[in-house]
Amino acid sequence: MPTFGTLELTAIVDRLATVRDLDTEAWALPGAEILQLAFEVPRATESLLPRSMHPAIPPYGTIWVTRYPESPVGPFTLAQLRLMGRAGVHPRGLVLGAVASTADAATALRERWGLPVVPGRVSFTRRHDRITATATRDGVTVLECALVDPEPISGGDVQYIHSVTLAHAPLDGEIGPRLIQVDSRYTFKKAERGRPHVGVLVAPAWGAGPLRPLNPIAATVTTCDTDLPRIRFVMDVEVPVVRGTRRIRESREE
Amino acid sequence: MKFGLFYEISVPRPWTREAERTVYQNALEQVRLADELGFDQVWAVEHHFLEEYSHCPAPELFLTACAMITKKIRVGHGIIICVPEFNHPIKIAERTAVLDILSGGRLEVGTGRSATWTELGGFRANPDTTKKSWDEFVRCLPRMWTQETFAYDGEFWSMPERTIVPKVYQRPHPPLWVAVTTPGTELDAAERGLGSLGLTFGQFAEQEKRIAEYRRRIRICEPVGAFVNDQVSTVNFLYCHEDDATGRATGRRMADTFNYLASQLVSAREAFPSRSYQSLGLLPQLRRQATGPEASEQAGEGLAFGGPQRVLHALKRWEAVGVDRVNFLMNALEVIPQADVLASLRLFAREVMPAFADDKPANGATAPGA
Repeated sequence: MPTFGTLELTAIVDRLATVRDLDTEAWALPGAEILQLAFEVPRATESLLPRSMHPAIPPYGTIWVTRYPESPVGPFTLAQLRLMGRAGVHPRGLVLGAVASTADAATALRERWGLPVVPGRVSFTRRHDRITATATRDGVTVLECALVDPEPISGGDVQYIHSVTLAHAPLDGEIGPRLIQVDSRYTFKKAERGRPHVGVLVAPAWGAGPLRPLNPIAATVTTCDTDLPRIRFVMDVEVPVVRGTRRIRESREE
Repeated sequence: MKFGLFYEISVPRPWTREAERTVYQNALEQVRLADELGFDQVWAVEHHFLEEYSHCPAPELFLTACAMITKKIRVGHGIIICVPEFNHPIKIAERTAVLDILSGGRLEVGTGRSATWTELGGFRANPDTTKKSWDEFVRCLPRMWTQETFAYDGEFWSMPERTIVPKVYQRPHPPLWVAVTTPGTELDAAERGLGSLGLTFGQFAEQEKRIAEYRRRIRICEPVGAFVNDQVSTVNFLYCHEDDATGRATGRRMADTFNYLASQLVSAREAFPSRSYQSLGLLPQLRRQATGPEASEQAGEGLAFGGPQRVLHALKRWEAVGVDRVNFLMNALEVIPQADVLASLRLFAREVMPAFADDKPANGATAPGA
């Protein structure tokens, strides 16, 4: 059978976000602009992946920088680093680290969806020849990346993979580390594709020790209406997800 | 309806050299038996880097071994990836000709373009252009097999005039097929006079519609080769057992294993947004079958596992929707012991195949314009 992640949970359990409850309300996020860069990453990144998940073949990661012009906590920009893997048969992106441009956004995202996010400075700059993004924490630039030579494509060609976060969450009266599925929806208004360029990625700042961008795959930038949904599934961190998944509610609307 | 075997060569970890060899040896033993039992074809894929799922990067070598130990069964090279970073067209023409000669004219040639970033990225191929390069390759291949000399200057490859030798053994040339996973590719096949080598499982109603459209289009095709290969083949799992419940449970385990392995791969579309890969292809269907609401008895629609009567009924349904040939996957990760695979083949040949023996001949090759 496929290999599993080898994450030592004890090494990171103290710095996980804590979700208040699993009854999080959804956020509508209209007019978002999403920059995604995909690139292959070293095999050693399996040490970042929970034992309940499989590495993708080949392992790859994505940088996601999103500018939200409207949200319940006001406009903000969010940078995330995700390691792509498989929850059973489903592709999922484990959020390793994130930086939000406002403290309110950082707090809400940690408490509601378990994102490992800290406040910082995040820029998203759209130009005709490139779309660039940076993230800064405590005065240190931890991300500098770009989509180079954007060309229009159809939004229908873009497939965003759902995220999972690893956070403390209450379930059956106990708070403990769990994987939380964040399965946003997207209605695309505009999409472009280009070459990914990563100038700076300080892996430790993203909780991503052995991760470094290797073979570049593709970059996209889209404008879309999206959301952060109600939580539907939580998964055990150590047990394969085909056995360790709990459905919290039947549908996103419930 | 005719029946064949279909090999991915799925090897479980740990990959000891004996483990790899055992899987290949088991496959060869199955092919030898299938030839004796009257199966019509054996197909082997070309895949690269697909850990556990498929350790079959050189199908022409495996098929040569098959040809050497059998008498009648046809050998299907399917599919050859028609992307220049994977295979040079001259080498394709040459090695298929040699295989056709060595097999005594038993070669079938499947063509395709790969559907995974795992493979395309590994060869640094551009997913945007694989349909175009495939088209160039399939236009050239019949001419390289049949013309005394050949020269070409295209977008993806070129060559000055040379005599490509040897020529294929079959006249005018082996039947050509194209792998069909994403909807619409069957029309690509029809418009070029190629056989439709279906690689999806189940779903009678959907397949019936696609086959009907294929038949309609191929009647007015401009064939790339010297003849029209008006045939629809599909792939299926096979596990036939005297006890229906045992057959279904074992078959289900094989299918689930196969689907689970396939889902670990990175599809082209998942990583590299491109108009060339607008559909996710086979993977979403397999994911749904593995875990979704269809992961039930219903997901077994048309799958050939269970007792002989159940298998026969499923295949009669396929015949009714217009399928000419069914190629069977018989194992994944060796979850079924070799002795049981061989027993399943024997039971199928004894109890199921005779029910198809007196039917009208399967569709086949026709001359252009016929």
